[in-house]
Amino acid sequence: MKLDRRDFIKISGATAAGIAVSGLGFDLKQVKSHAGMLKTRYAKESTTICCYCAVGCGAIVHTSKRGDGRVMNIEGDPDHVINQGSLCSKGSSIKQLVENENRLTEPMYRAPYSDKWQTVSWDWALNNIADRVKKTRDESFEKTNAKGQTVNRTTKIASVGSAALDNEECWIYQSLMRSLGLVYIEHQARI
Amino acid sequence: MSKSILIDTTICTGCRGCQVACKQWHNLPAEKTTNVGSFQNPQDLSFDTYKLVRMNEEIINGKLEWLFFADQCRHCIDAPCLETAFDENAIYKDSATGAVQYTKTTKKLDADEIIGSCPYNIPRKAVDGTLAKCDMCNDRIHNGLKPACVTACPTGAMQFGDRDEILALAGQRLEKAKKKFPKAMLLNPDEVNVIYLVGFDPELYTDYAVASNDRGGLSRSVALRKMMGPFAKMMRV
Repeated sequence: MKLDRRDFIKISGATAAGIAVSGLGFDLKQVKSHAGMLKTRYAKESTTICCYCAVGCGAIVHTSKRGDGRVMNIEGDPDHVINQGSLCSKGSSIKQLVENENRLTEPMYRAPYSDKWQTVSWDWALNNIADRVKKTRDESFEKTNAKGQTVNRTTKIASVGSAALDNEECWIYQSLMRSLGLVYIEHQARI
Repeated sequence: MSKSILIDTTICTGCRGCQVACKQWHNLPAEKTTNVGSFQNPQDLSFDTYKLVRMNEEIINGKLEWLFFADQCRHCIDAPCLETAFDENAIYKDSATGAVQYTKTTKKLDADEIIGSCPYNIPRKAVDGTLAKCDMCNDRIHNGLKPACVTACPTGAMQFGDRDEILALAGQRLEKAKKKFPKAMLLNPDEVNVIYLVGFDPELYTDYAVASNDRGGLSRSVALRKMMGPFAKMMRV
């Protein structure tokens, strides 16, 4: 290794400075705390099931205890029998279902033939849905078919959804749809 | 005992769970990307992307092979970036885990010099010159958790543990892989803590899969500092 003049001056200068400093008893070693605190250290842990595909992977949700209840982290649950901690790219991103600036937090309504959405209240939205479902269902309800067989159905309403529902929610949903007389009940994951 | 990661690309399905889990744990924003006709997304590592599943389609022995390479920092045992920076406030190695750590002080370094010193082309700079790369989830390791990417991996392609355990596992996996992939090999296992097992010629996965003498490594002044050893470290030349 060839030293040029500049390197030589740098080394000799630094040597002098180093001896001067070490002579005064300074500790030149950097003290570093390697073990940073986990961002989830003071978070509340709850378990959930990934909402995407039918595998049903378990996940741990870390929520802030600061009172705002915001989600800080979601990762695979190592104790879950199905995925044992692992998650695919969609599962790894489910925090974005909650922590997302594009997420709608209020019901939106677009009137027939209107070209814009407006924010409405939950009460208004739920009452209107109920009214319209009832009206359409009553108007289209068939007690018997052309052969005179009892069918008690409506073919003017269809349901599409939802791949994101869990087993118990699906049961309630199916009960509601069947009680209204729906026969077109489909799941968007098959479409 | 330092920690190591094994990435067995022969059983990777390219799901990108590791890539997203990394973003999620580190609270990194998404990249704005465009469709370029490949499933690989984004196209390169960046200041906000520490882990990237590189995807290449290659015809090998008349058969189409889709090659996945979950690229990340190798946490070299003798890291050229660390030697080049020569500033423990900017780049240092956690002696307990072997993880090479970048701090905000990397802003004061010559970013291009550091990037150029990396044989695997990993560090990336922000607009202000701060450098970032995979930190091996050092905070998780110290708290008894596996790195986010390893935790997420659904196929077991990524494994984490003490270095001797991972080296032993890498040897076993290599033997197994060789039955199906005669050209299977481990990439620089003696030099890095993130050991890749590939089934084909490493050049097919990415240009920087294996360390090469043609690029990266130490510049003359860095080699000089290294030669001076602990003496130079004390002097901060």
